[in-house]
Amino acid sequence: MEFLGWDQLEAGAVIPSFEDKNSDIVKLKQEERNYAKTNSYTASVADWRVFKPVFNKDVCIDCQNCWVFCPDTAIVARDKDMLGIDYDHCKGCGICAEVCPTNPKSLIMFFENDDNDTALSQWPEKKKKEK
Amino acid sequence: MSKIIKNLKQFSTSNDRFEGAHLLCPGCAHSIIVRELLNCTDDNLVIANATGCLEVCTAVYPHTSWDASWIHIGFENAATAASGAEAMYKTLKRKGRLKEPDKPVKFIAFGGDGATYDIGFQFLSGAVERGHDFTYVCLDNEVYANTGGQRSSSTPRGASTTTTPAGRVSYGKKRYKKDMVAIMAAHGAPYVAQVAPNKWKDMVKKYQKALSTEGPVYINAMSACTTEWKFPADQTIDVSDLGTDSLVFPLYEIENGHKLTITYRPRNIVPVRDYLGVQGRFKHLFKKENQHIIDEMQKAVNEKWELLQRREEAGI
Amino acid sequence: MAEKLKLQEVEVWDGNMAFAQAMRQAQIDVVAAYPITPSTPTVHGYAKFLADGYIDGEFVLVESEHAAMSGCVGAAAAGGRVATATSSQGFALMIEVLYQASGMRLPIVLGLVNRALASPLNVNGDHSDMYLGRDAGWIMIDAFNAQESYDLMLMGFKIAEDLNVRLPVMVNQDGFITSHTAQNVKPLQDEVAYKFIGDYKEVNPLLDFGKPVTYGAQTEEDWHFEFKARQHKALMDSKDTIENVFKEFESLTKRKYNLVESYLMEDAQVAIVALGSTVESAVQAAKNLRESEGIKAGVVATRAIRPFPLKEVARALKDVKAIATLDRSAPGGTLGMIYNEISGAMYQSDNRPIINNYIYGLGGRDMTQKDIKEIFRDIKRNADSGKLVTPLQQFSGLRGPKLSFFN
Repeated sequence: MEFLGWDQLEAGAVIPSFEDKNSDIVKLKQEERNYAKTNSYTASVADWRVFKPVFNKDVCIDCQNCWVFCPDTAIVARDKDMLGIDYDHCKGCGICAEVCPTNPKSLIMFFENDDNDTALSQWPEKKKKEK
Repeated sequence: MSKIIKNLKQFSTSNDRFEGAHLLCPGCAHSIIVRELLNCTDDNLVIANATGCLEVCTAVYPHTSWDASWIHIGFENAATAASGAEAMYKTLKRKGRLKEPDKPVKFIAFGGDGATYDIGFQFLSGAVERGHDFTYVCLDNEVYANTGGQRSSSTPRGASTTTTPAGRVSYGKKRYKKDMVAIMAAHGAPYVAQVAPNKWKDMVKKYQKALSTEGPVYINAMSACTTEWKFPADQTIDVSDLGTDSLVFPLYEIENGHKLTITYRPRNIVPVRDYLGVQGRFKHLFKKENQHIIDEMQKAVNEKWELLQRREEAGI
Repeated sequence: MAEKLKLQEVEVWDGNMAFAQAMRQAQIDVVAAYPITPSTPTVHGYAKFLADGYIDGEFVLVESEHAAMSGCVGAAAAGGRVATATSSQGFALMIEVLYQASGMRLPIVLGLVNRALASPLNVNGDHSDMYLGRDAGWIMIDAFNAQESYDLMLMGFKIAEDLNVRLPVMVNQDGFITSHTAQNVKPLQDEVAYKFIGDYKEVNPLLDFGKPVTYGAQTEEDWHFEFKARQHKALMDSKDTIENVFKEFESLTKRKYNLVESYLMEDAQVAIVALGSTVESAVQAAKNLRESEGIKAGVVATRAIRPFPLKEVARALKDVKAIATLDRSAPGGTLGMIYNEISGAMYQSDNRPIINNYIYGLGGRDMTQKDIKEIFRDIKRNADSGKLVTPLQQFSGLRGPKLSFFN
């Protein structure tokens, strides 16, 4: 957000979450909301990442473990489907990959600079159970 | 009426009111705990937040991560801020001045263990005694994480912190952790519970019970801290699992100050040493001269578990 | 709905009852309070009105003054009329939250019944607590008697809640001398008083869920300065609103209030500047001295302490030759607050009067007519000599050898 002069600020440093009035925020999906530019949703922490999770839809069972344990509201789940990673908000902590129960995992951590398509092409095979 | 959450798939249709691009450390359990709470209800929320990691990382001007009414005053007074807002709600409701008089409103206060066990102890005690209708959630990471890892009265025995560092002649903190759940139950709060983010279903159930309880509720939430407990960021849930499965953090609830129910019994109880072993803050305990501390900690955990089971049996 | 209370044209109230009655008439939505001498009867009075159905608000009986102001901040941010009362140590305990209340621009009204600060412990009136709060960003108004305590408490709400102001207001009165002395007070009837204040106007309330807001964000070096500047501007500009409210009150009651009050100043050559109940004592002494010794004595008092009425006070003192500034608070290693403020105001003036400083009345020590007359005689000597012939700072009414500084 641009730096404002003292005369342009909201008194009391009060921060609005949305641009307009919404009678029922909780009914609106993120993409349906009119976020204020002061909402951290409009910001990005992508530059925090060293590793990033890559999502492989083919393996995913939509269990939503990644969604519930994501500390950064960065798992995009809609209508019970896991759609992918919100890379603006993901910090690359790796919890999603760690809690993913599929075999092979549907979320695997790669270097931030790796290409996602290349990562998907290198996806590991199903691991056999060790005896 | 509570939102119906039968399973994780259904839970995942919740529209988050806690946004990303907050500044909490990667892998922080605080935000997992907060998301689970906010997502378990569709009611309007007024949130009071004590100074601490959650506060300084979610409301740094010009950004807020909250899609709900939110206030931070100071380190010690989140419970009182919630009290004041709740009192105003009651008045305005009575006087017919609310914009949406029929829509339920829940009052929530968040504080870390520093804000809860230490500096805000009196404020929380007062608010619970006065009987305000609110839910206080302590994000218990057992350390002053925001100020650089100093000990609090929630820090467990044996932990190395920046003010109780392990050294040549010290094994870290000497005193045991304060039993905040028992203290809050002793206030006669209608509902008190301990939760952990890894056990999301147990947590959601307790949160929903908390929000639908009339009167003050205290929730103690284990919040594994990657920075101060010293474990890799992707291990938050695994470390939490060891916390609940070793019974260092037993999950239980107390209703009306006496009726205790254990809500999670690990199928395989793991040794306390396994929980300690994955955290850098306890590393020094594995030195030969400190091993007895681990034994003592295990003994204390066993005794506490025994006590909880007996209380549950006796219904007192 | 709260019951109305029929009041006599003239009631006999002490300062605390005056506060409590004004708070009742304001129909406050939330009061969060904690007892402390000498402001306790304000809270007792309010509690009794509540118990008898004359108030419809919530009364939150917290466990400390810090919590009292914290509860007030939470309630005010939620969106409604809020007030409390305190004194001394309790005020000291709530200091942290006073800054937060003003920083969040919440129109809370605080009745501060002035009392000394320990140590040594003392329950009586001086201005130590008032002085402690003077940088907290609150509007600070001073009442010199019970009538003014009532009037200014009513006006406090109207000033604080004005959309051009939105700052907390502290109404001061002297502990015991004002707070516990029954005096004649002419109140307004309930409807008239409430109508004068008006309904509460919401600004960014937490309870407006259609527009959620975040209160109490962190602002670092890139934003903090602008917010504090904006807040200071609002406090400085509140002068206009204060004066307008004074005028409106005057047209309703014929009781006139000014940012700076002047007594016997038309031809005064020497003047005392003071606060609190001492103002009335000084006026009495000035009258007597005019008759008995022909000293052209006058008295000036800043009704508004913050925002400081610098120009108005300079105007009030523009013709005097010597000024005594009376501070009822231990100055802590320098000159008293009033000395510094008045000197600052007069330095730019054409007449540059001789100004000295008296520390008096600490811990409720009586300020006698004899003491005040002595001060007037002192500054008469300064005026006649055309220079400072007394010590710059003296202690008045103190036992033991004469104590003075900056000689």
